[in-house]
Amino acid sequence: MEFLKLVIKNEFTLKSLGDYMKIEMKNIRKSFGNNDVLKDVTLSVQGGEICALLGENGAGKSTLMNILGGVLPTDLGTILIDEKEVKFETPADSQEAGIAFIHQELNLINDLPIYENMFLGRERKTKRGSLDLKQMYNKTAEIFDQMNVNLDPGKMVRDLDASYKQIVEICRAMMMNASIIIMDEPTTSLTDTEIERVFEMVRTLKENNVGIIFISHKLNEVKEICNKYIVLRDGNLISNGDVNNVTKKDLASYMVGFDVRTESLRRESSDEKVGKEVLRVEGLTDNRHFRDIHFTIRAGEIVGITGLLGDGRSELFQAIFGADHYNSGKILLEGQEVTIKSTSQAIKKGIAYLPRNRKENAILKDMDIIENASIVTWSMFSKRGVINTSRHQKLFEEQRDSLRIKMGEMTDSITSLSGGNQQKVVLSKWLAANPKVLILDNPTQGVDVGAKEDIYDIILKLAEENIAIVVLSSEAQEITRVCDRALVMYHGVIQGEVCDEMMNEQTIMNLATGGEIGEEKGVHQL
Amino acid sequence: MIPNKKSSLADSGQGKKTFIGWFKHKWSNDPLFSILIALIIMVILQTLTLGFDYQSFGEWFQSWSNNWINILRNNAGIGIVALGMTFVIMTGGIDLSVGSTLVITGAFAMYLLDTGAQGILGAVGITGVPAIILTIVLVLVFGYLLGALIGVSITKGMVPPFIATLGAMMIFRSVTQHFAQGYNTKVPVEFLQISSFKIGNLMIMPIIYWAIIALILYYVSKRTTFGRQIIAVGSNERAAKLSGVNINKVKLRVYALMGLLVSIAAIIQVSRIGSMDFSNAGRGMEMDAIAAAVVGGTNMLGGRGYILGTVYGMLIIAVMNNLLNLFGVPPFLREAFKGVIVIVAVLLQRKEKTA
Repeated sequence: MEFLKLVIKNEFTLKSLGDYMKIEMKNIRKSFGNNDVLKDVTLSVQGGEICALLGENGAGKSTLMNILGGVLPTDLGTILIDEKEVKFETPADSQEAGIAFIHQELNLINDLPIYENMFLGRERKTKRGSLDLKQMYNKTAEIFDQMNVNLDPGKMVRDLDASYKQIVEICRAMMMNASIIIMDEPTTSLTDTEIERVFEMVRTLKENNVGIIFISHKLNEVKEICNKYIVLRDGNLISNGDVNNVTKKDLASYMVGFDVRTESLRRESSDEKVGKEVLRVEGLTDNRHFRDIHFTIRAGEIVGITGLLGDGRSELFQAIFGADHYNSGKILLEGQEVTIKSTSQAIKKGIAYLPRNRKENAILKDMDIIENASIVTWSMFSKRGVINTSRHQKLFEEQRDSLRIKMGEMTDSITSLSGGNQQKVVLSKWLAANPKVLILDNPTQGVDVGAKEDIYDIILKLAEENIAIVVLSSEAQEITRVCDRALVMYHGVIQGEVCDEMMNEQTIMNLATGGEIGEEKGVHQL
Repeated sequence: MIPNKKSSLADSGQGKKTFIGWFKHKWSNDPLFSILIALIIMVILQTLTLGFDYQSFGEWFQSWSNNWINILRNNAGIGIVALGMTFVIMTGGIDLSVGSTLVITGAFAMYLLDTGAQGILGAVGITGVPAIILTIVLVLVFGYLLGALIGVSITKGMVPPFIATLGAMMIFRSVTQHFAQGYNTKVPVEFLQISSFKIGNLMIMPIIYWAIIALILYYVSKRTTFGRQIIAVGSNERAAKLSGVNINKVKLRVYALMGLLVSIAAIIQVSRIGSMDFSNAGRGMEMDAIAAAVVGGTNMLGGRGYILGTVYGMLIIAVMNNLLNLFGVPPFLREAFKGVIVIVAVLLQRKEKTA
């Protein structure tokens, strides 16, 4: 208790970064009704450690962290801070004890400047009761200074990129004297450079004796930055220990319960059944996001499009799909020039687009699974405006089996499914439309390892069926594993095309940051 | 696989076997169930208040059913408008202009029909039944076009629905009041038959219109592309667009349908009374329609709404008005009760988990 008082007293005085703290969760059990979500899980983190918390969706990670964050009570088990037992009844209890939870959806208000966000809910006031903006500004500047963050506290949060938002949240946590920070998939919506920026911050924290629990699906990152790991599966503690003693493959197999492949799935050039040209784009320009884009995609090809955030690839393909405008240039489908003004036109012409950010762009949360899986084809199959329910159901039954969608009834809510299965349902609505060109924008975003491999398999199978496939992804690894060739974009132009042995992470990274293909060879020669 | 299925069937069967189990299941799974229960409770209350009596059951039933026919007939017009409002709200929009649209379409009907010197159809020599049929068609088209106009300003002009319909609300009534001031119309008697035609001594035509429209719209909302696209647009506009739904077309049609339904309500009203008070008719109608939709489980944020729920909601509000009347609650206090009902209804509705 003395410790708590101290924390409250010093709430805004940051003398030294991070107080050393050790936290242990022992034999935690939790069930919702008959559903045992956590079965005897133990976890310990101390200052200066970065512990990866791994597991597929539904493994119990969130529940465990919600218990630590004071959002949920435990059924059994204890939480110890520095060997003393504590009870968290509300999130505020947990916060006061020095635990900060940085959620995947950041808790920042876009329309307020950084310094006001830093003091959200605990604003400093002047004697007369108005906001003491100056003090808040200075305090924020002071913390940024200590944390080596080069940011103007007066900047609007709206104008920050995702990594800086993450950093503002971390600084806010530090201002509240957090000793343990929980980061829930901090890198999912970040590009590689942004990830590096956040990692730098995380390393600074580690040096300053802050403990971090790092939830992630990306095993590369875990290997890179964490020193401990713990893997949950179906609420059980499967494995824990030192990250240096395991391989990525081990971790993946702990997570899913069987061996996961990590090898390349790329087809040999000779295996490609390259068909006739399906989509050709000539000089497409919208003057904002992309300029003078030329490319050709043939049936049965898998073409990757990659680049960093702001490269314009999503906007480019949304324009091709009719969801956005373009100012000049030509789109040719099977040799014929087409003008696409709306998404429904694009669908009729055989273009399908699976958008990024599933939750915002693809999921209809008020509708059930079968409706989410059939919205694209409603008007296609309907007679006089009446939905052909039986045809949709029959089609979806086939797809449920071939895409291996794990689900209950077709009439269950879409939100009852895990991320991977939601994504498969979204994919199935496009397959129902029988597309010639399938554009997949970040198809494995927010899906677990098992589902990710399933989706790769589906992509390869569809290519065999002579569909032209475009995979948009910021993960170079994803591109190199499944695509036949890749176009790399940089600031709205196609910087280069890579295939065969040239298609590797270094070359892609080089092009994505504005380099040329030749340059990289030069670097190697040096 | 098969034994699994059996056991799960047995499980769910056990859950539903007892009345309490069934009730609990319905309560937590059927969003309309709690609304229906509320309606039943209010009807029972109303029945008791009317002095249920075994001895003179026939007589009691007579007055009870008369009371009900009155309630339903009085609320048919607004009930029809509330159905359209449900669709509008389901797309995530709102229509404040319904009361004014009622007045302008009503005035249009009266100008067309007037047997006096200013009657438009009379002036071109169309009278009798053809004039009535033509009037109905023209009024419906007019209502549809007014709604479509609002729809265009919302979709193409990107004016927020609240603003677009607020503007239309002011314009329509003001224009009507200006051009119709001091104007007395004589609506032909045959036209009045639309509402007052009696089936077996019962004046229930408006109720029949309401029921038919509710049935059609129920079917539309459940089974047609248009109906499901409404929900898709309200649930996640961006996702609907990226799934090939023409969201502008859906919205346009929803507002046009709203205008059409309001013009039906206008025809019913004009044919019931034979005239219309342009400064007061339809005032507050938008709020009553929204209230009925909300009590019936429609989510103001869009995406969720039930035609059947709106019918229940309308009935709940109507029965409550009737009850307040029977209890002798002073008129000025009645609105307060309506307000309480609306807020309580939303409080009771299942809240979406904010996990």
